Amino acid sequence: MQSTNVDDPNYFHKVVDCQWACPAHTPVPEYIRLIAEERYTEAYMLNWDSNVFPGVLGRTCDRPCEPACRRVRTEEKPVAICRLKRVAADNKGDVSAYMPAVPTAKNGKRIALIGAGPASLAVARDLLPFGYEVHLFEKDAKGGGFMRSQIPAFRLPEEVLDEEVERILDMGVVCHFGEEIGSMKTLMEQDFDAYFVGTGAPRGRDLELLGRQEVDDYIHIGIDWLSSVAFGHITEISGKVIVMGGGNTAMDCCRTSLRLGAESVKVVVRSAFEVMKASEWEKEDAMREGIPIINNRPPKEFVHENGKLKGVLFECVEPVRGEDGRLRYEPTGEPDEFIEADHVLMAIGQDNHCPWIERDLGIEFDKWDCPVLDEVTLQSDNPKVFFGGDSAFGPENIIWASAHAHRAAISIHLLCQGKDLKADRPPEGVNLLSTKMGVHEWAYDAEHDASARNLVPLVEHTTALTNIKVEVELGFDEALAAQEAQRCLNCDVQTVFAEKLCIECDACVDICPMDCISFVTNDEEPALRQTLTAPAMNTEQALYVSTDLPTGRVMVKDEDVCLHCGLCAERCPTNAWDMQRSVVHVPQLGSFAS
Amino acid sequence: MQVKYNDFVIRFANVNGSGSASANGMFAKALFRMGIPVATRNIFPSNIQGLPTWFEVRVSEQGYLGRREGVDIMVAMNAETLVEDVASVSPGGYLLYDNSKPLAKTLRRDDVNEIGIPIATMMLPEFADPKQRSLFKNITYLGALAGLLNIEFDVITGMVATQYKGKDALIAPNIHALELGRNYALQYLQAPLPLQVRRSDAVGDRIMMDGNDAAGLGAVYGGATVCAWYPITPSTSVAESFENHANRLRVDETSGKKKFAIIQVEDELAAIGVVIGAAWNGARAFTATSGPGISLMSEFLGLAYFAEIPAVVWDIQRSGPSTGMPTRTQQGDLIGAAYASHGDTKHPLLFPATPKECFDFATAALDLADRAQTPILVMSDLELGMNDNLSEPLQWDDAVRYDRGKVLDSEALENSEVFGRYLDVDGDGIGYRTLPGTHPDKGAFFTRGTSRDEFAAYTESPEAYERNMQRLELKWQTIRGLVPAAEIDDQKRRVGVLFFGTTALPMPEALDLLHADGIALDSCRVRAFPFGAEVEAFVQEHDLIFVVEQNRDAQMRTLLINELQTAPAKLVPVLYYAGLSISADTIHQQINEYFTANKLSRISEVQS
Amino acid sequence: MTFVAKPKVHHPNLPLNELGLTRRDYEGSVSTLCAGCGHDSVSAAIVQACAELSLPPHRFAKVSGIGCSSKTPSYFLNKSHGFNSVHGRMPSVMTGANLANRELLGIGVSGDGDSASIGLGQFAHIVRRRINMLYLVDNNGTYGLTKGQFSATNDKGSTSKKGAPNLYEPIDLVSMALQIGATFVARSFSGDKTQLVPLIKAALKHKGMAFIDVISPCVAFNNHNGSTKSYEFVREHTQELVNADLIMTHPEVTVDYAEGSREDVSMPDGSTLRLHKLDADYDAHDRVGALNYVQRSQEQGEVVTGLLYVDPDPVECHDIMDTVDQPLNELNEAQLCPGSAALADINASYR
Repeated sequence: MQSTNVDDPNYFHKVVDCQWACPAHTPVPEYIRLIAEERYTEAYMLNWDSNVFPGVLGRTCDRPCEPACRRVRTEEKPVAICRLKRVAADNKGDVSAYMPAVPTAKNGKRIALIGAGPASLAVARDLLPFGYEVHLFEKDAKGGGFMRSQIPAFRLPEEVLDEEVERILDMGVVCHFGEEIGSMKTLMEQDFDAYFVGTGAPRGRDLELLGRQEVDDYIHIGIDWLSSVAFGHITEISGKVIVMGGGNTAMDCCRTSLRLGAESVKVVVRSAFEVMKASEWEKEDAMREGIPIINNRPPKEFVHENGKLKGVLFECVEPVRGEDGRLRYEPTGEPDEFIEADHVLMAIGQDNHCPWIERDLGIEFDKWDCPVLDEVTLQSDNPKVFFGGDSAFGPENIIWASAHAHRAAISIHLLCQGKDLKADRPPEGVNLLSTKMGVHEWAYDAEHDASARNLVPLVEHTTALTNIKVEVELGFDEALAAQEAQRCLNCDVQTVFAEKLCIECDACVDICPMDCISFVTNDEEPALRQTLTAPAMNTEQALYVSTDLPTGRVMVKDEDVCLHCGLCAERCPTNAWDMQRSVVHVPQLGSFAS
Repeated sequence: MQVKYNDFVIRFANVNGSGSASANGMFAKALFRMGIPVATRNIFPSNIQGLPTWFEVRVSEQGYLGRREGVDIMVAMNAETLVEDVASVSPGGYLLYDNSKPLAKTLRRDDVNEIGIPIATMMLPEFADPKQRSLFKNITYLGALAGLLNIEFDVITGMVATQYKGKDALIAPNIHALELGRNYALQYLQAPLPLQVRRSDAVGDRIMMDGNDAAGLGAVYGGATVCAWYPITPSTSVAESFENHANRLRVDETSGKKKFAIIQVEDELAAIGVVIGAAWNGARAFTATSGPGISLMSEFLGLAYFAEIPAVVWDIQRSGPSTGMPTRTQQGDLIGAAYASHGDTKHPLLFPATPKECFDFATAALDLADRAQTPILVMSDLELGMNDNLSEPLQWDDAVRYDRGKVLDSEALENSEVFGRYLDVDGDGIGYRTLPGTHPDKGAFFTRGTSRDEFAAYTESPEAYERNMQRLELKWQTIRGLVPAAEIDDQKRRVGVLFFGTTALPMPEALDLLHADGIALDSCRVRAFPFGAEVEAFVQEHDLIFVVEQNRDAQMRTLLINELQTAPAKLVPVLYYAGLSISADTIHQQINEYFTANKLSRISEVQS
Repeated sequence: MTFVAKPKVHHPNLPLNELGLTRRDYEGSVSTLCAGCGHDSVSAAIVQACAELSLPPHRFAKVSGIGCSSKTPSYFLNKSHGFNSVHGRMPSVMTGANLANRELLGIGVSGDGDSASIGLGQFAHIVRRRINMLYLVDNNGTYGLTKGQFSATNDKGSTSKKGAPNLYEPIDLVSMALQIGATFVARSFSGDKTQLVPLIKAALKHKGMAFIDVISPCVAFNNHNGSTKSYEFVREHTQELVNADLIMTHPEVTVDYAEGSREDVSMPDGSTLRLHKLDADYDAHDRVGALNYVQRSQEQGEVVTGLLYVDPDPVECHDIMDTVDQPLNELNEAQLCPGSAALADINASYR
């Protein structure tokens, strides 16, 4: 196997699983260390640079980082990364001094952003420090997009959202609230230098079943209904409620219904519990509030009496794993199940919907009505038009919106500078900084903390259900945060091996608690993976292979379950091992300005 | 002439390796079997063959077993020592010698009765082999003594029959030699002499045994399963006795295999190492040595003290310093044993005075070692260990269970939440220990001579070290109540005498002699160190105490001063350390002189 | 050393042995030896060997003397009792431990100072006694704890860290063990676990005393140019002679050694000791031949490693002593005390 090129920025980046998994590549271990040091403002700013909405994300992020957390692979639960992010937001000081300076003299380039959701806001933040004149068009009266319209207040208090939205708007965005763009062609007549479409995936799916038309008054599209609640158009719901769907919207719908006075709420899902789209914690939250989730029940018919909804008839199926490994659903043979309902909330998915973009503007759409885009630049077939967030590749989440925004902002900047959007993109880079301070002293808490994931305190149950504005999660206090922060394995502090110094004494092999390190005869990767002290079966994780050592062997380190405890470096008599903090530079326009 | 019965000292002067021991031993045993109290003393050189050796028998109807000055009958069979042997006979005493060669004129004494027997000449026609002639010479003088002292002849012949059981060919020539001697005495000499023996009932049910033999047997009874040793006079026979008795008493009936392990190792360091290793694993283990061995064992003894491992060491004391007089007795190892090893180390000592006590203390020491988790040194000496002594019969109570001390078994560990090897749970300074291999998860700890905390974890914390040393001191106080108590005769007199071990042997006689001089003393026979409360009270409540011991530096007195904060002035040393055992006369003389010199008052009505 | 405790968590795929334990269950506390000390590798090899043999981790008696090597019993098998005794006297303590409880597996760890100097006598005599144990010497040719004086195993002419030559003849414990009659004699290198681990396994299964001299470099004081106990020197001058494999009764993956001849020796417990001889003419059952080979190689500046001699039909001390099968420390009063009736007869015999 080829020796590892540790100069490849992605090599060490991949070792930091949480950061790698994060669409915005937020440097998670670094901000967790800052939280442990009670440097909340710095921790917040590190987040803000990368994901733009730390307060919002600290409550609502989809957390792709957590399943990726190395703790999961060491037979434990992940670090509560998301909740720690919120701790930074909750405890931060005044951040105004840290805000990038926005030049009063503009650079003459005008950019139009359509939709005031997270994607557009993040693009605005990235562009403004470079002197762009940024125009934001939004049909609603306030910014925030679906963060405002679809995330209930008991998960995301309005003031948290307002703060982070306004922080960007205050940077000098030219706001056009209440201005719904009805025609892209018309907008383009204003001759902006670039256009960014960040209007989300606003169309909730419906289900054409027997009786659907007759009971229209009692059927509500989930995201529209949540939006009506958010803007105060709907304040109550009565009787028995069925929420159909297994995603996060379904979870928000059912919990909101409970708070608006529903007599009973049930979530009915077509598929099995394990494969529901909703995040693990969202399901747990709903169930904790006493909401049953009924799985393996595809709907068949809306049952009504003279147009008055009586309930829904469901088929009974069970999941069977096919030979291809996929789940299929087969009827169990049980009689269909009738569930009474006065209202049904449909939360079975969303689609992109851009009827306002004329199809003769050079912007191509695919068969799912998604724009055809370059995945790196997010540029459409019309060079001046960019997409991001849910309107780019379909429904994702806020953190993806931020990630898209950074890419789009770079693209827009390059376009406006007349540069090549690909060739001239700034590269990813990595810096390594030794953390060795003394004989047994490292600039990070190397010691492995074996304690279990801390649970987040919640507001008292009855209080939570009586007021839709009461935030359910109280968040970690500082003490809990400090405990949880210690669980972070500091995966960004890398084990860096210097072949020339190694005397092959085995000290690192002997001390490694996870059997990561082996000195073996080199071989092709599949064979090499088998010959290690502990066979490296997780092929998604890299092997760190040295060049040939004096005995003819190579050092092979399996990055999979390394605890970054630093014991290899502690025990190394020649400092052939060093623990070096990797700082990954993810290209981003905004961070260059600061 | 008035005949004197059962009261004399006879000394046999022989050449080492000439086979005299068996004849001399039979002499003593014969009197013992006639019901007459005897005490034997073997005064032998550090030599295999050729150097002078003496065997002394004290015959005392009154039961005095200590040494007495003066020789009443000298059996002079060694040309080399003839001059001093003749000189040592008390006036009026008897000199038995082989007049095959006439006694030189210069050696003749008017105040001594010469008894010449031409033994060598008699042997010439009887035994062709010179070695046999030499051996049977001893039996012949034994036969002559039987005639001269009026020993019941069938007692002796019976003994020969038992001794050579299985080697029947030897019985007849031995009896023949006995008869040769006896007949010569009866035929040609004035026999019996005015100094003679007669059957008595003064022995009772007592036995005659040496202390080392009793110690070895006691170790078998006390449950010792491991003995490691290195040969050194005068302790060797302790290990040999253990092996002999165990080979008979400790063999598994079905398998024929041994329920004990004895190993002669390369040196005393290894011997104590084996004992400590075995005791660490819960086997009752012991070794036997003498002063030089204690010196070598000191490092290990310190380890066992500090790491708190049971061990039993028999110190059969001999004359030091260094190699000293290796075949002479002394009580010179007290301080060396009590404080063996560097640092603040101290060890319990037991002081047996009789073979029965050697037997009893063998078990007591094993129990105490297990209970206190520390080395126990049993301080015998050559006098007690290697000489046949009259002793009360040995006793064993079948209801007795060995005290294995505080050892947690698997079940106890299973039920315990916290185990700290050096935690003082009971407030007596003694923690609970576990044996290797007891429990899969609980109770394992690391035994070490370095400082550690209550949970046996290595530490150099000043506080932890001090706590540990203080707990060891508390344990020492606990041990004061566990060791055998002193034997005290307290008549509330102002003056007392304190003694221990073999100084007890001449003490009854010495006290009688003193009493005759108007000196009556309370007495305290110390049986262990640290001193119990009864010893402390005895010392406090007497104005003056004579401390009788067999070493130059008054080591027991030093221990008393050191451990009981006694004013040195009130402890008067009475010392003898020349290598023989202390005699009643020595004790009598020194105390009497002290009374005279210090004008101390004596009791008014002196029994005359 | 390090004060950072080794995390308890282990590799999720760490194999379980027949007792359902992982190798980690056989570890000890974190070493306080210098980083890179060969002794830590030896401890790790012991851990691995015991785990692979599925031996119950609490059924060992670990004994040592004094010195760097003698600290190591703390660093393996912490479910077992250990005894860090006095300098050079491990053999006697181990003898006592074994006499008291023949069922425990004895591991005695010693060093070159401990065994070749202050404890040379005890070393020689435990060989004679054939105590059933593994006697392992961590041989680094130097006194580490007192900062680098020469030890008795240091080769004549090799130099100290400061360059001073050693003027005296070395003591070779392997030759001594062969000469005195050890029934299992091996030499290995701390830096070669492929060889060392199977040797330790074979030694643990050997009946009687198994002696392994492990050259274990001292990184602090004896790993320089001029040292003959350095990682580099040993690697360059090692001649592997007979590698061993212990094959349990059930099939097991065996170490893949270079070509040579192969010989199987049956072990008392039914397992097989497989010898891989790199010199086909070498007879691992010829004591005198082994002694010659070792000494000749030493003369040529080569370090011969492997299982140099094994007696296929050994006896151990308890056989010699003819002691009962039950451990002596388990015998109770009824089994030990002859009782009062026997004593009455004994009293009579002394009258």
